[in-house]
Amino acid sequence: MAHLVQAIALGLLIGGVYALMASGLTLIFGVMQIINVAQGAFLVLVAMVTWWLWNRTGIDPIVASLVTTPMMFGLGWLTFRLLISRIRGSSPSMSVLLTFGLALVIEGVLNLTAGNKFKSATPAYFEESFRVASISFPKAQVFGFVAAVGVLGVLYYVLNRTWTGRAIRAATQNPAGAALVGVSAAGTAALAFAIGSATAGVGGSILSVLYPFFPASHYEWISRLLGIVVLGGLGSLPGAVAGAVILGLAETLTATYGSLGWSTLVFYLVIMAVLLVRPQGLFGARLREDAA
Amino acid sequence: MLQLKAVVAGYGGGSVLQGVDLECAERTITCVVGPNGAGKSTVLRVISGLLAPTQGEIRLDGEPIGGRAPDEILRRGIAQVPQSHALFPAMSVQENVLMGGYLIRKDRRLLRERLDQVEQRLPIVADRARDHAGNLSGGQRRMVEIARCLMLDPRLILLDEPSLGLDPRGLAGVAEVIHELNQAGTTVLLVEQNVRLGLGIATHGVVMEGGRVRLTGTAAAVRDNPEIASLYLGGSPTKAGDSPWTNASRPPSHTGGPGSPPTA
Ligand SMILES: Nc1ncnc2c1ncn2[C@@H]1O[C@H](COP(=O)(O)OP(=O)(O)O)[C@@H](O)[C@H]1O
Ligand SMILES: [Mg+2]
Repeated sequence: MAHLVQAIALGLLIGGVYALMASGLTLIFGVMQIINVAQGAFLVLVAMVTWWLWNRTGIDPIVASLVTTPMMFGLGWLTFRLLISRIRGSSPSMSVLLTFGLALVIEGVLNLTAGNKFKSATPAYFEESFRVASISFPKAQVFGFVAAVGVLGVLYYVLNRTWTGRAIRAATQNPAGAALVGVSAAGTAALAFAIGSATAGVGGSILSVLYPFFPASHYEWISRLLGIVVLGGLGSLPGAVAGAVILGLAETLTATYGSLGWSTLVFYLVIMAVLLVRPQGLFGARLREDAA
Repeated sequence: MLQLKAVVAGYGGGSVLQGVDLECAERTITCVVGPNGAGKSTVLRVISGLLAPTQGEIRLDGEPIGGRAPDEILRRGIAQVPQSHALFPAMSVQENVLMGGYLIRKDRRLLRERLDQVEQRLPIVADRARDHAGNLSGGQRRMVEIARCLMLDPRLILLDEPSLGLDPRGLAGVAEVIHELNQAGTTVLLVEQNVRLGLGIATHGVVMEGGRVRLTGTAAAVRDNPEIASLYLGGSPTKAGDSPWTNASRPPSHTGGPGSPPTA
């Protein structure tokens, strides 16, 4: 019983962090039907920058997201203006190729500058835990979770209570309708891409503490994130949260009752089972092409 | 007020509009009729800026507006209610209507004022404020679409097949709103498949076929044209009074009435 509670507690903490990481991917897809395959590379890039800042200045890695988030907002905006905007209107496979190319470039640059070695930021609390009854909550996971949920809360507020967010949601739900009320498609897409990239700022800083990483880690991360958003329904933020929590729980429960090696497999089995019943994912809307 | 001259436009695979000439005078209601695929919706799309013309001129009060972005066209006072799927289904009715005021979002007082006016004119906006737009019936959706386009207090409204999928009561409601808006000084350019209805409410008629304008004139003249009558009206010309549109707009009823203020 204690094992079960412990596994669920850990799974939820990890799920919160995954949710933040996946939120950017699903937001970008919702607005422009582009899968940003470079989102995993963005995370690893930020983890590397965070590690470097921590190593040089001793700044807490999670606090470092105050630096990395604006950095990623800017990088996302530039990426959209310089690269993505040029392939607007072409087939979705173009965007996959383009963002995959971007991921490879980031990986290459990291290999050259930081070297091909595992890194991990290890602040003082790295191996400490909070204890409640017999359940232990590793401090790093708790801090990461709090930061992630905080940022998700801000994202929720921006999307639902500001005109910028309304414009993004309008463009997600009905691009032609949004154009008819004066929402600029290109401007909204650039903002959504920048905001989606900025989530990788906080996400990557958290990653640097929770998981060892090296330049090629982005393959593993993007497949996790894709699994989450496909399970939740592409383009849906609540879906990303649900998918992330399911992945977190699948990992910790499998690790507790089976072995860690099986946890990824279990998650993908869950995805397959869900997609058999709901091809659009848990919270996904059916595309018009499907309905026709 | 609005002038189209030899407008050519298409969607990439050949021209759909093959030189369209069209004019709307201030405070008129112009109804475009014609068979499916004639290019009626496309005409509205080039005016509202959703589609750029490849040739020809579009002028508003003499100023060229062809090929401008939709938000620029909106700022000049032209609002469009498209044929279908205009709303944001996962937003509430009130949020949908507020989105109509996106361009005046910085002026909160004006936004509030317009919302109040629109709520008075179209009670559904207040009655169903919290409901998701995706859960409304076809007629209710039409009303919310019209409400949304009124938020900017447009001078010219482009309506694409407002009768589509409406029951008689919905029809009467929409007809009445169009009539009232026009009375308040708004110019209307309307596309209708339902020729009898469309020409019934309009002051002017335009017949399109195969991407061209075949015939223009007063609504009565178009309606009474023997060829049009036999093609679209199934026989003898009709009198103006036969149309439920004109009838519907006469008796004052729940959607406002003589006392309700204009949106201006
Ligand atoms: N989005 C689009 N992409 C390609 N072709 C289109 C599109 N919309 C309309 N068309 C074509 O343009 C022609 C005119 O369409 P439309 O203006 O919608 O006609 P109407 O409104 O008179 O029924 C049709 O042949 C239609 O197939
Ligand atoms: Mg049409």
